[in-house]
Amino acid sequence: MVDLSDRQVSTEIIDACRLGDRDAFRALYGLYKDQVYSVALYFFHGDRGIAADITQQVFLKLIGNVRQFRGDSEFSTWLYRLVVNVCLDAARHRKAEPPIAAEAKLESLAGPDSLEQDFARAEAANSVRRAVSALPSKFRMAILLRYFEDLSYEQMARALGCSMGTVASRLSRGHRILAERLKNFEGRRQ
Amino acid sequence: MRIFRRHVSDRLAPYIHEARAADQVERHLAKCERCRAEYVQVRAGIEALQRLPLAEAPASIWNSIESVLNAAPAKRSFAPRKIAFAAIAGLMVVGLGYWIVMRSAARWEVDGLGGSPVVGTEHIGRAGRVAAGEWIETDAESRARIQIGDIGSVELAPNTRARVIATRPQDNRIALQHGEIHARISAPPRIFFVDTASATAADLGCEYFLHTDEDGSGLMSVASGWVSFEWNGRESLVPEGASCRTRPRLGPGTPFFEDASDGFKRALDDFDQTSSDAALTAILAKARVRDTLTLWHLLSRVAAGDRGRVYDRIAALTPVPAGVSQEKALKLDPETLRRWKDELAWTW
Repeated sequence: MVDLSDRQVSTEIIDACRLGDRDAFRALYGLYKDQVYSVALYFFHGDRGIAADITQQVFLKLIGNVRQFRGDSEFSTWLYRLVVNVCLDAARHRKAEPPIAAEAKLESLAGPDSLEQDFARAEAANSVRRAVSALPSKFRMAILLRYFEDLSYEQMARALGCSMGTVASRLSRGHRILAERLKNFEGRRQ
Repeated sequence: MRIFRRHVSDRLAPYIHEARAADQVERHLAKCERCRAEYVQVRAGIEALQRLPLAEAPASIWNSIESVLNAAPAKRSFAPRKIAFAAIAGLMVVGLGYWIVMRSAARWEVDGLGGSPVVGTEHIGRAGRVAAGEWIETDAESRARIQIGDIGSVELAPNTRARVIATRPQDNRIALQHGEIHARISAPPRIFFVDTASATAADLGCEYFLHTDEDGSGLMSVASGWVSFEWNGRESLVPEGASCRTRPRLGPGTPFFEDASDGFKRALDDFDQTSSDAALTAILAKARVRDTLTLWHLLSRVAAGDRGRVYDRIAALTPVPAGVSQEKALKLDPETLRRWKDELAWTW
């Protein structure tokens, strides 16, 4: 789980971004790039090209609109609302991913430079990727926001544009489906 | 005990993540085998995610972002002896740039989606622009979509007439005279507004439909997010899946979920117009847990003597959270009402 304590966005960074300070933009990007990229990557079934495109779009929108951010909501909530909207817009405009292609992209994520040092660990990570990829998109997005960003339920409700009850329901059902799918994958391997 | 009959399937993740409603969930788990099995599954799903690694964003992404940012005109340097000239020229350039930016910012792009919508007095065909102060109108055969800068869009259904009021960064505003719009906004709260004759819809980050007649009778339905429907200090908070009527001289009514029973909705319609005791009695009798959205709003809208009935009904439908006292709720203490709303919103 990502620890947020070391990357709280200061008002100084936001103020500098409002003035067009390129270094401040870069600092902001550095704080969030991997989380935004990871959410997009797993949301789009391991497609690195789309994940990079989504990440770029999110930060360009953020830079373009940062003057409108008034600080009366948390920065991360606003950022992840952008992530959700850009991902859902892109998903609407894409044709369904052929299952074989998606599977191949997910497998390719476990490269030699990953942290997965042994076969069993890589297998386990692949199973989780496939199980996450197979979740309905509403459950998938809620789970990715919770896992990669550790957003609170209130923050997720605002980012996803729904009630906390809906967030709770999506996360509870999503994790249950995930566990069932993983059990099936493991059953097939044995 | 009602609490043991209601399964806690949808509360398991918040219980594991943040120990939300721990007492209620733990008491239920102790007695319900089905929920215990689901608890094990949810926990297994949460633990499995620990095996999902964070991916590193490629450096090429920032390079692409920088090249877009660099597409802006480069600054020039000037020789010292030309400073005065440069200052004057600079002021002229800045002034011209400001005029161009303001002129362009004051106009929103319009796409004709069928037929031939009219902006001002001109038919725009497939594409056009609309500025603050101008009217845009569709007839029975036409539809149009206005791009609200880069924060979203508003689609005008056939037979709709609206006027652009403001196109400022912090205040984007349309007055809907009659007809229906479909707004999709992705921006910080309260920078996009739609005025009607009897209410103003303030966007809190959302997608919604709003219909109004010229006299101000209308209905707003929220497809995602939240909208605040306001008039003369009266505010209705409308979440996803809920709707709210508005009426001339009365302003926004009490919000309700679309899937509430017909009897509930009829009684609410009656109460919003007549404040009758019979209507309130019917509303309270027919309310479900989710209808606490309506009941929470009614707390501050019924006569002071009736607040206790509304409080008791909400308390019977869902446990009153810690920090919410009956005394303060009946006095309409703002902090108490806010805290209760935040807790009730779990069921909305």
